[in-house]
Parts: sequence; structure tokens; C-alpha cells
Amino acid sequence: MTAVDEPQSYSGTRKGEPDKTIEEVWAQPTGLRWWSSVSHRVVGKRFIYTGFAFFIIAGFLALLVRTQLIVPGNTFLDNETYNQVFTMHGTLMMFLFAIPILEGFAVYLIPMMLGARDLIFPRLGQFGYYCYLFGGIIVLSSFLFDAAPDGGWFMYVPLTTNAFTPGVSADFWLIGITFAEIASVTAAVELIVAILCARAPGMSLTKMPIFAWYILITAFMIAIGFPPLIIGSILLEANRLLGLPFFDPTVGGDPLLWQHLFWLFGHPEVYIIFLPAAGMVATILPTFVGKPLFGYGFVVAAVISMGFISFGLWAHHMFTTGLPILSLSLFSAASTMVAVPTGVQIFAFIATLAQGRPRMTTPMLFVMGFLFIFVLGGLTGVMLASVPFNWQAHDSYFVVAHLHYVLIGGMVFPLFAAFYYWAPHITGRMMSERLGKWVFWLMFIGFNATFFLMHVTGLRGMPRRIATYPEGIGWDRLNLLSTLGSYILAAGVALFIFDFIRHLRHGERAGRDPWRAGTMEWLYPTVAIGFNFHAIPPVETREPLWNNPNMLGKNAEDVEGVMRKMHDGRRETIGCDPVSGSPVQIVRLPHPTFTPMFTAFALAVAFAATIASAYFVAIAGIVAGLLGFTIWAWEPSDSGVTRDAGMGYVLPVNMIEKRSHMHIATVGTMLVLYALLGSLIFALLYLWNVYPNFAAQTAQPNLLWTGLSMLAGLVLLILAMINRRVAVADKIGLATVMNLAVILASIACTACLALAIQRTDPWGTALGATMWATLGFVALNLFITLYWALFNAARKVTGRVGAGQSLPDFNLATYAKGTAVMVLITGGLFLAATLGGLS
Amino acid sequence: MTALGRQVWGLTIPAVAWAAHFIAIYALISAACAPRGLIDIPLMFGLGIVATVLFGIAALWPTIRPPKGAALTGAIRVGGLIFAVAILFDVLPLIFSSGCGG
Ligand code: HEM
Ligand SMILES: [Cu+2]
Repeated sequence: MTAVDEPQSYSGTRKGEPDKTIEEVWAQPTGLRWWSSVSHRVVGKRFIYTGFAFFIIAGFLALLVRTQLIVPGNTFLDNETYNQVFTMHGTLMMFLFAIPILEGFAVYLIPMMLGARDLIFPRLGQFGYYCYLFGGIIVLSSFLFDAAPDGGWFMYVPLTTNAFTPGVSADFWLIGITFAEIASVTAAVELIVAILCARAPGMSLTKMPIFAWYILITAFMIAIGFPPLIIGSILLEANRLLGLPFFDPTVGGDPLLWQHLFWLFGHPEVYIIFLPAAGMVATILPTFVGKPLFGYGFVVAAVISMGFISFGLWAHHMFTTGLPILSLSLFSAASTMVAVPTGVQIFAFIATLAQGRPRMTTPMLFVMGFLFIFVLGGLTGVMLASVPFNWQAHDSYFVVAHLHYVLIGGMVFPLFAAFYYWAPHITGRMMSERLGKWVFWLMFIGFNATFFLMHVTGLRGMPRRIATYPEGIGWDRLNLLSTLGSYILAAGVALFIFDFIRHLRHGERAGRDPWRAGTMEWLYPTVAIGFNFHAIPPVETREPLWNNPNMLGKNAEDVEGVMRKMHDGRRETIGCDPVSGSPVQIVRLPHPTFTPMFTAFALAVAFAATIASAYFVAIAGIVAGLLGFTIWAWEPSDSGVTRDAGMGYVLPVNMIEKRSHMHIATVGTMLVLYALLGSLIFALLYLWNVYPNFAAQTAQPNLLWTGLSMLAGLVLLILAMINRRVAVADKIGLATVMNLAVILASIACTACLALAIQRTDPWGTALGATMWATLGFVALNLFITLYWALFNAARKVTGRVGAGQSLPDFNLATYAKGTAVMVLITGGLFLAATLGGLS
Repeated sequence: MTALGRQVWGLTIPAVAWAAHFIAIYALISAACAPRGLIDIPLMFGLGIVATVLFGIAALWPTIRPPKGAALTGAIRVGGLIFAVAILFDVLPLIFSSGCGG
């Protein structure tokens, strides 16, 4: 395509604001419409501020815990309150502080570091934020109803089943946290696609700033690691609401199944928390050493191997549950092994330090604090990986000490480094170096006083999660000092808050690139335009600001690049090839809108109503949410034209091919869905394998219907492929017919699968219940396929999409194929159960 | 495929080999040591060794013959070695234990 056709009006201009300048098109909405902002800067900052608020709340709860333990026999908190307080402390810290605040930094920084004007799915970002906010509010509101969860942050069954936790406290946890997790997963898919598809021209994978690698791997880990807990939570909630016996050993369920699902998530979770923080360290260190990161390639390899290997360690949290010794050895060996990639990164950091004389600024102090504390936490981790030691230290304060050394050392210290480092970027002013040093030393000394002593307390036998302890068995003084230490730590955090508020008005102006960093987020003067780049500069090196004199040598808005000209009055950015980074398309971005917020709110109503057992309201909420998604997607198509991007690039807008950002997002979503299915299959196989006699009591699937369901799955697969072909060939009428065929095939799949297990009683055995749960999940995907096909057909019939705009059908085909394969897998499992028998 | 694309594959193959090997070993232990007792210990051991050899070679392959291009060769070597060692660690319990061990 050489000619640039610029027809006056095509569907993509319909939402445009052609009379406005680029500044006006990108302007932040003001007044009440401020809430409708979709900009990654705004959403990222909201994630960060909200996450910090949860940190303060959870930190306050920690102080309550420490205050209760300050002297033996204390009555400051009663037992029930104590349980609630430590449960909420752990829960808020892990789910509502650590992950979201790190994702917030990624959302804020990644586009600027990579040369994009915004994240690639800005509305999804807004949606994720509101899911997180509403989910967090649901969890917190449990305090108001005096129903705060008290089952510990890992909510072990049977403690959390109806029998032992009547009332709604566990439901608050399960539903609120699942809702907030949806936010994390959507943000993960969005970050994966943003990193792969929207980089500056020429920024190949090996030219990416190291932070982007860390976030990329983390996002993949979230996509695969969160599903087991989402499934576990749904099963447990179904157990509480419907009495389905997944975890009930009297009918072949197993409490350990919950532990497996929880820790399949829980162990990767701690790496999900650590990796972005380590990525911050790897970004901050080189700036103050003045040299590039040592061993970029080694670090990339280490991060990838950490990402993978951390999925093979989960059972080290279950060493005392009576698993076969052989299993314990496997997980013990694997846990020891993960020290290797961790060590590679630490050595790369130390080698970077050794390359020059680091400037000891406040961010650097926190980085040094990270190295010191995290290495100690890693060492106690290797100790705990040894099974005999673990049996001694399990559930003691030694574990509490270990987990805070890795979490606070590995995440909170880098985070405070990041606060000091990027605060000028967000506020335009520098925080105080003098106060910053005070903050650091207070936190460092307070932290070690609190938690170092806990190693000893633990070795002296003090169990975790006890509300009080008797006098005179050697725990008194240690606990007193730990508590005083936590007050010092809190004083450090308070001083930080003071300094932050102070610097908003009195901090020195930051100017441009105040730390002399090399990465592109510092190209513009701090507090810059909302759309990041007037023109997106080509990037040849990892530290463009150090190596390319054109970048800082000129006014930022004069730096040469692509996309200087705006087309059709629309927000847009450049889209690239995932590997090489060469520009391949122009990506259209949405303008501010309330739809995602409305959708998230509708879902929040549905979730909250479920807790309150108001099921009609819940259904209304779900319908409203579906409506929200429909309105969201019901927009004029942008595909079908080419535009001049400058610097010799003439590119298609929202291209229709496998490397399209939308298609990669569809594939990313499939990854999440398959992880969900995989968790269910794990549960099926686990129960079948561990309770043969209950498996034998479960009715076998019907052979005929199983066979037919697999046939229907095959038909769906083929129809999806044909659908794509005819859509891409612009046979619009035929594509509509194929949409309808896909709908019929989806219905057939659902019906055949359900008929296949109609004789299986979900309340009869846990295996039967899990079969129905699997069916329910596959049916949900079939429903989405159906709804999507209906939606696409409607859009074609009403002329919303025309020739050259087959992207929706292109993506639908991928989704429908993925769903068809799910049907085949499920059918195959049923078939095996029929032919092999369940006994 | 571009040279860089092949190098990216060189980074991912060992990772996938490790994952497949881990799942194989976990499944074998579960098949042999759970109440159902699908397979016996010698079979578990034999299949474990086969899986280790196969996936071990797959994990080391990009290290032995790195795909052309320079950008990621160092990373491919380090990654391949880490995953190969991890595969070895994951099979050690099979070699050193005489059974499921209660
Ligand atoms: C601000 C300083 C902090 C203090 C003083 C503190 C203190 C404590 C104490 C004393 C316990 C043990 C309660 C018990 O077992 O009875 C605990 C548990 C825990 N903390 Fe912290 N903590 C802090 C920060 C954090 C952070 C930043 C995280 C995570 C990012 C975290 C995650 C956890 C978790 C997951 C538990 C386990 C809760 C449970 O047993 O269910 N803590 N904390
Ligand atoms: Cu772990």
C-alpha cells in the first residue's frame, strides 16, 4: 500500500474530534468528568495512591497486632478481634497493597519507557482500577458489619467452611478478593500486550529497558498464577452457598485440595511481588552508578527462569500435611534451586554497583537496604526449604520473620526507593534528601529490630497467630523489643508521609531528568503533557537519554519521531512487531468514557448482593454488567484505512492479522482461561487419584452424549476457522451466517456436555461436583462465544462494520477455537471416565 | 523468522522443557504414591529417567547450538544452564529415594 487514502469520513472518524489540536484531543477531562479519564498516567496514579492507602490501613492493623503482643497476658484485643486483625493485615497487604501498587507503577511507567502515548487498552485500565477499588471496599466494609474475615490470609478449609465459619465473613473475603483479582488479571493482559505491541520504532526486545522485561514476565505469571486461586475461591464459595462438597472428606473431597490450589497461586504470588520491585532496583541502580546494568542478558535469563521455576515450588508450604516424602523431596530440591536465578540477579546488581562510585541518594539508600534485607530473607528461605528444619519452624515466628524479610526487604524497600525516585516525575518537585535519609534509617532500624528478633522468638517456640502468651518462657523481652521496633518502623513511614505532603508545595522544582537517568520516561520535563510524546522517537539503545544526544539536546516537543501528525481527530499511538519493534500499524485509542466504571460498578453490585444473599439484585447486576461490556464494544470500527505515520512509514490503522494488539490480547485472555481450566482439571485428577473408592461411586458419563459433545466441539472448531476466512475475504453476508452457525454449535456443545453427565450427582461426591464445575466453566466460555458471535452478527447487520473491518470476527475465531478445544478436552476426560471407568 | 525471533525461541525452549519435565515428575510421583497406585516404583523411576533425558537434552539444545545472532546468546546460555540444573534437581529425589517413603 503506497497511496495514503484519507477519505473524509469513514467509521473510524465518527468518534474523532477533527477540529481540535492534539493537545485538546488528549486533554484530561475536568470537573466530574475527571472520573472518566482513561489515561494511563491517571489510572496508574490512582492505583498507586489507593494501594498506599491500603498499606497504611494494613500497617495500622499490624501495629494493633504488635501492641497486643507487647506484654504477656495482654487484653488489648480479644481473641476474635486478634484473628480478624492479623487476617485482614495479611490479606490487605498481599492482595490490595502489594500487587496493585506495583501494577500501578507499571501502568504509569511502561508506556513512557517504551515510547507509547498511552497503555494499549486504556478503558480496560480504568475498568481494572474500579474493580480493584470496589473489591477493596467490599473487603474492608466487612469491618462495618463486624464480619471481618478471621481465617488467616490463606483461608484454610475446613476452618472457612460453613460448619466452622458461619455468617458472611468468609464470603466477604472470597468474593471481594476474587473481584480485586479480576483487576490484577486484566491489568496483566493489558501490560503484556502493551509491552509486546506498542514500543517506539526500532525498540526490539533486547533494547527494552530492563523494567519492561520484569513487568512482562510478572504479567505472564499473574495470568497463569491467579487462576488457581480464582477457581479455589469459586469452589469454596460454591461450597458455602450451595453445599457442593469439594473439600469434604466424607464424600471424597479433600481439604488439601484447597491448599494445593491456594499455594499454586500463593507461591508464584511472592515472586509476582518481588519481580517488579527488583525491576525497579534494576532501573534505579544504573542511574546512580552512571553505568548501564551489568549483564542485561543474564538478568533477562534469570527473570525468565524465576518466572517458570517459581511455579514448581508450591508444596513447600505443605511440608507438614503428610504428603509422601518423595513429593516433599521434589519440592524441597526445587525450592533450593530457585536460589540460583535469584543469586544471578543479586550478583548483577552488585556488579553494577562495583562499576562506579554510586551517588548515595535516598533512593540508593533504599536500594542498599533492599540488598541487605532481601539477602537475609533469601537465606532463611533456603533454610526453610529443608524439610526437617521446616518441620521444626513451621507456623512459628521464624516463618513470620522470614516472610517479612522477603516481602518488606524485597518489595517495600524497593517501593520506597521508587517513591523517592519517581516522585519528581509525578509531582514535579523533589522530595527532601535530608528527611529521606531519616525515613530510611528509621525504617531500616525499625524493621530489623522488629523482625530480626522474631527469628529468635520463633526458634524459642512461639507459634504465629496466637493472641497472647504466658509470662516467663523466654518470649517477653523479645516481643517487647519487636513491638518497639515496629513503632520505629511506623515512625519512618509517618515521616515519609509528612515529607510527601510537604514536598507538594515546598519541594525544589525538579526540572528535566533530575537524576540524570537514561530511560525515556524522563525525556519530557517533569509534569508534562498527558500524552507523553508529541512525536515518538526511534530508539536504538537501552538508555536513549544517555546515548542519543538529540533527545535531551532539544526541547522535548521538537525531538523527531513518528506520529507527529494526528489523523481523523483521534487519539493514537504507534504499534510494533512484538520481536523486532519495527512499526507495523497505527493503534487507535479511546477517548474518556464512563462505561468501564459503570460496568465495574454493576459487577460490584452483583458481588455485594451475592454476599447479602440478594440473588435477584445479583442477577440484575450481572445483566447490567453485560450491558456495560456491550456498550463498551459497540463502537465504530477503526480498521480498513492506511495513514501516514511520518518518517516514511505508511501504516494500516488497527490492522487485521495475528500480530494485531487485539488478537494478541485475545490470545493472552485464552492463556488465562486455560489456566482456569487447568486448575479445574488438576482438581479432577487429584480427587480421582487420591480417593479411588469415591471415584467408583460417581456415576460415569454417558458414552453417546460424550461422543456427540466431542463431535460438536470439532464442528465448532471448523466453523470458527471458516468464519475467519469469509470475514477476512469481506464476504459480509456469509460471515453473518457463519456467526449464526457458531452460535448453534456453541449451544450444541453445551447441551451435549450437560447431557453427558446428567446422571452424575454434584452433591453425591466431590468428584461429581468438580465435574459439574468444569462443565460450568466450559459452558461459560461457550456462552461468551455465543454472545460475541451474536454481537458481531448484529454489528454487521446494522452496518457498524463494513468491508475491510473484519477484526472482530478475526478475534472471535481465535476465541471460539480455544473454546472448542476446551470442549474437546473436557469431552476427552469424560470419555476416558466412561471407557476406563471411574474406579 | 528473523534472527532475533529465533533467539527468542532459544530463550523459551529450555523453559518449556523444564515445565514439561516438572509436570512429568510430579505426575509420576502422584501416580505411584497416591492411594490409587496407578504405577509401581520401578516404572515411575524408569519413566522419570526417560523424561529427564529427553527434556534435559531439549533444555540444553539452544545452549549447545545457539541460534544465529548475537543479541541474546549470553542469555540463552545462562537460561539453558539454569533450566538444565533445575531439571536435574527435580529428578534427584527419584534417584535418591527408594520409594514413596510414607
Ligand atoms: C509495616 C510493618 C509490618 C509489621 C509490623 C507486620 C507485622 C506482622 C505480624 C506481627 C504478623 C504475625 C501475626 C500473627 O501471626 O499473629 C504479620 C503477619 C503477616 N504479614 Fe505483616 N507486618 C508488616 C508488613 C507486612 C507487609 C508489607 C506484608 C506484605 C506485603 C505483610 C504480610 C503479612 C502476612 C501475609 C502475614 C500472615 C498473616 C496470617 O498469618 O494470616 N506484612 N505481620
Ligand atoms: Cu513459597
